[in-house]
Amino acid sequence: MDDALELPTAQAGSSPKDLPEDDQSSGDEDDGPDWTKLPTGAARPVIPKRGEKDFEPAPGGGSGLQLHILDRARAAMIAALQGSRNISSKSISYAVWYPDIARAHVTTARGIHFTAMGHSAARPLSVDDVQLKLHKRLELLPEEALYLVERGGMFCWKQTRAEISAMEDVEGAPMTVQQAFTEMIGKEDLTLEKYQVFAYLRRLGYVVTRAEPPTESYPIPPPFVARKAPRTVFQQLTCLLWCSVSKVSQLWGAAFDWWRPLRLHRWFHRGITHTAIFKSLRFVPSGHSITLRPSNPRPKTPPSPYKIFYNLYKPSTPFRKTAPPPPDFSIVVVDARTTAIPSLHELTSLFGVLPELPPPLPRKRAPPPQASVNPPKTTRDSTVLKTQAPLLQRLFPWLLPKPTAPSPQKPNPFVALKAGKKSVVIAAVDAGSISFFRFSQGAFEEWPML
Amino acid sequence: MSLINPSNRSKGPHKGFSKRTENNRIYAHPLPLVLFTPPDPSPLQRALGLVGISSTQVLNPHCEGVFDAATRSVWVDKHGGAMVLWQRGFFGKGDLSRSEPSWLARQINARKMAGKGLTSEEVTAKRRAERKQFKLDRARAMAAAAAEAEVAFAEGRVVSPGYAPDGTRIIPSAATWKPSLSTAAEQAPPTPDDAPEEGEEGDGEEEPLEDLEHLQLTLQEAFFLLWNLDCLTVLSPDTHEPLTLPQIWDTFQNAHHPPHLSALPPAPSPSPSPLPSIPPSPSPAPALRRFDNPFLVNYVVYHHYRSLGWVVKNGIKFCVDYLLYKRGPVFHHAEFAIVVCPVYEDPADQASSPFELQNATPFTWSWLSTINRVNSQVQKTLILTYITIPAHSRLSPDVLSSPACFAHYSVREVVLRRFIPTRMRD
Repeated sequence: MDDALELPTAQAGSSPKDLPEDDQSSGDEDDGPDWTKLPTGAARPVIPKRGEKDFEPAPGGGSGLQLHILDRARAAMIAALQGSRNISSKSISYAVWYPDIARAHVTTARGIHFTAMGHSAARPLSVDDVQLKLHKRLELLPEEALYLVERGGMFCWKQTRAEISAMEDVEGAPMTVQQAFTEMIGKEDLTLEKYQVFAYLRRLGYVVTRAEPPTESYPIPPPFVARKAPRTVFQQLTCLLWCSVSKVSQLWGAAFDWWRPLRLHRWFHRGITHTAIFKSLRFVPSGHSITLRPSNPRPKTPPSPYKIFYNLYKPSTPFRKTAPPPPDFSIVVVDARTTAIPSLHELTSLFGVLPELPPPLPRKRAPPPQASVNPPKTTRDSTVLKTQAPLLQRLFPWLLPKPTAPSPQKPNPFVALKAGKKSVVIAAVDAGSISFFRFSQGAFEEWPML
Repeated sequence: MSLINPSNRSKGPHKGFSKRTENNRIYAHPLPLVLFTPPDPSPLQRALGLVGISSTQVLNPHCEGVFDAATRSVWVDKHGGAMVLWQRGFFGKGDLSRSEPSWLARQINARKMAGKGLTSEEVTAKRRAERKQFKLDRARAMAAAAAEAEVAFAEGRVVSPGYAPDGTRIIPSAATWKPSLSTAAEQAPPTPDDAPEEGEEGDGEEEPLEDLEHLQLTLQEAFFLLWNLDCLTVLSPDTHEPLTLPQIWDTFQNAHHPPHLSALPPAPSPSPSPLPSIPPSPSPAPALRRFDNPFLVNYVVYHHYRSLGWVVKNGIKFCVDYLLYKRGPVFHHAEFAIVVCPVYEDPADQASSPFELQNATPFTWSWLSTINRVNSQVQKTLILTYITIPAHSRLSPDVLSSPACFAHYSVREVVLRRFIPTRMRD
């Protein structure tokens, strides 16, 4: 057994530096920026740690030094914010916003943004009210257009009906950023919360696409097929076990005495172990495969806000706009103030449309540091053990049970339990601050401890 | 008793190792039932072994406890097998201790060993005292650094308080701070207080300590032990007669009935229900048998995780219902924190319920954040355990007259973790 791997990481008070895999604790993303470090000054001093204040206000409203430090920080922030935002006219893109169809037609595409944003749509090209052939053009969804406008990468015009004969080359009126926000939020199911999640993830380099295609021309990843065949041997074994157990219990349904659930004489033929006792106690139905009653809850008057809205691709995932791969994560966006956490029925319907993730790979051990630290004695012991086991097996293949296929390197049950089988990310947005939670389908019944 | 045994207090580098082997020995059995193969089988057993019948015997400790309605628990004293239940499966909790019933050991330690052998409570107390001292030291260092910076500012120089000129922090952190000699001296005083006392009375003349502590089992733990393993007898608090299993089934459910329920006209059974807070023995059938009785709901969850081999303990200190330990609290920290979320199959049952089950409706995001923060701070993973409560409309009420009703519940888990996009980019 990988005892070292199974050691729980639970340890109160240990410093986060010791836990590189600790993705639960909050990191620097919660910090406000230290504005005094922004302008390129002298050699950077040590960045103060989170949670430690530089000082407490002295009684009587702060001393001269404290006021000086505060003023310096404020001045730095104002100076940083005051800087005018410039963009070269050679790197800016141009688009026309069509409010009727809630799309921005990109007339000039520049920069790398369009490798991950925008899709081509066929629109009838009408000249003098006579519909001509379909014309393919690059269009942006409202959140994509708004994101580019907000970050200063695109100049957006608004389509106007009025004929402005003086400007023939431009079809519309220029939009300000504020106007873009007003016009684009609310179109095509885009709420402010959804835009904030989109913009935050885009800025981090993720590719964010809609899970539900707004039109047919919007490329979506291939629908996942329920993989029945490539199930692991372990899963098949557990399924087999469960099926047989349920069949047997159906046959013996009358014989099962609910006042005496554990009857020890049953094992006199195979010898009693604690494992067998525990196993025989597992008669409470468990797991997500059990049908949830009522299977179709009455449709609530407001439809559930828990619908997968975005597909998320890591920056490292190779992404092709025309043929998106299966997403790395699925994102639901809700307003944290007006919505409660999802109910079991809502979670079940979310999990229902998600693919089952493969069990996590056993973590690779890092042999070089261990080998250097450990005395040679332990390594010799382990090699002896390694050579002995196959030898015994070769000599007496009937004696020793063959190593079962799923456990050449059994994954750490804790890792598998924490990862779950299916997972969905829910972004709860409270007035602009986004907290992401991952809800995973747990499978404790598949990983008994004994 | 393990805690006052000086043999596991050996000094030196192998201290942790010997402690672990000692724990492995003491807590070797995951259940009170001990499986035992006689080393010298009788000829009969040998013959049975030939035909495939194993000679393994089950040693049942047959513990004994008294039901206490006011605390909804079963009290097991030393003679009733308190240590057996603790050491084999970590059932129950000492009423004067944090978990293991170690009150007597603490008293003996305080008298005889003058703080050398520490119980877990004493270790915690020592750590807290050190932590307090650390905070005092840090505050002192910070005040000194601030004063120094003020002086420098008055002289016209601006220095960041708390930093040495080379940019390193001079304020002690939890990692760098060491208990100084002065604090160790502050810890010492108990010894001189005890010493003259012992000198006057002498070791032998000391009044023998009486163990005033008992182990208290929650109703879930007690029912698991007595129903599945048949290793616990529950006595009635009034007559001290053993209760039968059907009586216990009713008593444990009655223990959760809110007081106002007795005033209601009992719907299914015509017998008037007496005061539910002190159920007499034999306990009558519950005035209202319901699938959402808190005892049943919590028992299903408790049984589910126990049957999977986890050691299940109360999790109220971490905002949750249960904590799951692998093997037990003496071996590892708890890995998972369980929030029990009951889900009614029929919303009408929820509306008519006399019990206000916690978390039966989804809670707010701020509360979810709260409990997740608390638990990720202590490196535990939060699990929402959803338990479905069968609809009364689809099942006959007779189902509830026996534990057969457990077949109609279902348990499923949802694992909850924060998703931090800045760390998931790869």
